[in-house]
Amino acid sequence: MPFEVYTFRSSGKRLFAGKNTPHFHAVYGIIAHKQTIMQDIQTEMRNRAKELLESKQAGLVVGFTLDEYGKPTPAFITDPDDVGRLVWNDDCVRSRHNLVGCLKRDEVRKLGKPAVVVNAAGKRAFNVLIAESQREPGDVVLIDMEPEPRDARFDERYAKLAMLDTMSREERFAFWKKEFTRCFKCYACRQVCPLCYCTQCIVDKNRPQRIDTSATLKGNFAWNITRAFHLAGRCVGCGACSAACPAGIDLDLLNLSLARAGETHFDGYRAGENPDTLPIIGTFSVEDKETFIR
Amino acid sequence: MPQIITRQQLLALIDSLLEAGTKVATPVARGEKAFFQYLEKGDAPLIDPAVFPVNSTKEFFFPRHEILYTFERQGTEVLVTDARPFVAPQVVLGARPCDAAALPLMDRVFGWDFQDRFYQSRRENTTVVSLACAAPDAGCFCTSVDLSPETQAGADAELLPIDDDTFEVRVFTEKGRILFGGKTSESDKTGRTGAAPDRKFDAAQIRERLQTAFETPAFFSEAAVRCLGCGACTYVCPTCHCFDMVDEGSVDKGRKVKNWDSCQFALFTHHASGHNPRHDQGERQRQRVLHKFSIYPEKFGVLLCTGCGNCVRGCVDGLGIRPVLEEIAK
Ligand code: SF4
Ligand code: SF4
Ligand code: SF4
Ligand code: SF4
Repeated sequence: MPFEVYTFRSSGKRLFAGKNTPHFHAVYGIIAHKQTIMQDIQTEMRNRAKELLESKQAGLVVGFTLDEYGKPTPAFITDPDDVGRLVWNDDCVRSRHNLVGCLKRDEVRKLGKPAVVVNAAGKRAFNVLIAESQREPGDVVLIDMEPEPRDARFDERYAKLAMLDTMSREERFAFWKKEFTRCFKCYACRQVCPLCYCTQCIVDKNRPQRIDTSATLKGNFAWNITRAFHLAGRCVGCGACSAACPAGIDLDLLNLSLARAGETHFDGYRAGENPDTLPIIGTFSVEDKETFIR
Repeated sequence: MPQIITRQQLLALIDSLLEAGTKVATPVARGEKAFFQYLEKGDAPLIDPAVFPVNSTKEFFFPRHEILYTFERQGTEVLVTDARPFVAPQVVLGARPCDAAALPLMDRVFGWDFQDRFYQSRRENTTVVSLACAAPDAGCFCTSVDLSPETQAGADAELLPIDDDTFEVRVFTEKGRILFGGKTSESDKTGRTGAAPDRKFDAAQIRERLQTAFETPAFFSEAAVRCLGCGACTYVCPTCHCFDMVDEGSVDKGRKVKNWDSCQFALFTHHASGHNPRHDQGERQRQRVLHKFSIYPEKFGVLLCTGCGNCVRGCVDGLGIRPVLEEIAK
């Protein structure tokens, strides 16, 4: 492993329990136990966070707490006595927040070396950041809530694309027109994405202004498609952007289409799955058949 | 005598308006969310007081994008054509009372020194019908900002649910009378406005504390860490009104447009020199709170926030303005 990993296997229990995880039922059989197990995981996560902060192995723990609607939202803990605010429940398991995305912000960086609660998508995002030289292994302590990578999720996620696959070109265009009409360019999708880390996004460059700032259909197509292209072969499919979009646009559909194309054309490449595989974008090889680059 | 209208009659009224070419905006369901939008063919208006649409009705007065003028080079001359301010009548139906109450606040901004005809002609030509609240959700805090679900501000008429299929119609202005004239019937039943949210903080106290906020940025430090610096809260807010004016197109042919902008973006105050006077998110959060609870009230005597909670619901991190205000009030 290229980075420090804390897993929660110490107590001998499987510490990841998703509602629909077949393993979970196989191991424990009855649902009644689930609540207690989740609480154990939560307690163990809090203890780990406390230990990391007290021993100064981390200056900050990024995990989940609940917002006023009772939904998981990022918590930033610097005081070991505050770890009680950290929550781990079913909604956190299902949450599409990618907490690795919080680490890029200046205000968060200022708080010291971070420890972050991650699921499989979070780990993959971190792997891509390492592969792209944005992070060093050991820069971040990963509090791993999903020691078993749920490979099934990876295969299942393309199922979502069936809806688009059955549409004709015209129908697809009509579908995206309807979706993008609602985009008002708040850039929440970009701000939450762990892999949108450019210090100056292309939409914020105005000499020249390559992408209209207008939230018109043209400007919105330009924005959303450019962002998808910039994530081609890099998106880890966490779904954080879709979850963040106030307009309720399922941006996943765009990113997944490109991820699937990458997988088809580059020997089953999956961004961040294997920390040692070189990224398909941003890697140069003299064997590349495109000669324009030489 | 109370006037009532059935849901069916209301839908028929909407249809007849659309047929006559009047634009009608109401909430429409999209997936799990609802959005205020102009009704198009096949859209079902969602008139349900339990629904909290994501966006506000401000876009029908102050759209996210608007052309101010176009230009075209013709030989050595440049032809400039002013865009005509909006003039067609339109109806906004189903606005939340806190949404409608934002309109008089915006009127002050767009009609104070410079008279913004684009905004004003939309206001003059729009009939606003609000829908009484059923119950507050966790984001609501109108009672903390000198308002209540009973407010009539900004509305020309209000629909108050009697049961699932009947509304009491209360008319407040001439525009409201024209819209509903002859469309309602008398009844002895009256509609209801749901419970008001609990009072969460004292706005006067916040205003006072903000006097020293420049020196105590601690109020905003927690928000700074949680905030992503996106524009969601400001874009769903009925009272946020900042915009940017940019040229689009080419040197030969193009247009000057007015687009929404947000104080939560780092780029908002980024100078051409590279200097940014609001250099971190805490300062941007402070700006949003100061504008609504100090700068605007100082100028116009009222708060620039209706407590609608749109910003709280629209924020992916569950932040928005209220947690910040509660922190200041502590
Ligand atoms: S683009 Fe991909 S990696 Fe980025 S937030 Fe969206 S799903 Fe996650
Ligand atoms: S989050 Fe949604 S509305 Fe905001 S810029 Fe992205 S796609 Fe557009
Ligand atoms: S408060 Fe929330 S919605 Fe507003 S800029 Fe920050 S993250 Fe975005
Ligand atoms: S600041 Fe938030 S609560 Fe206040 S008017 Fe704007 S969206 Fe509504």
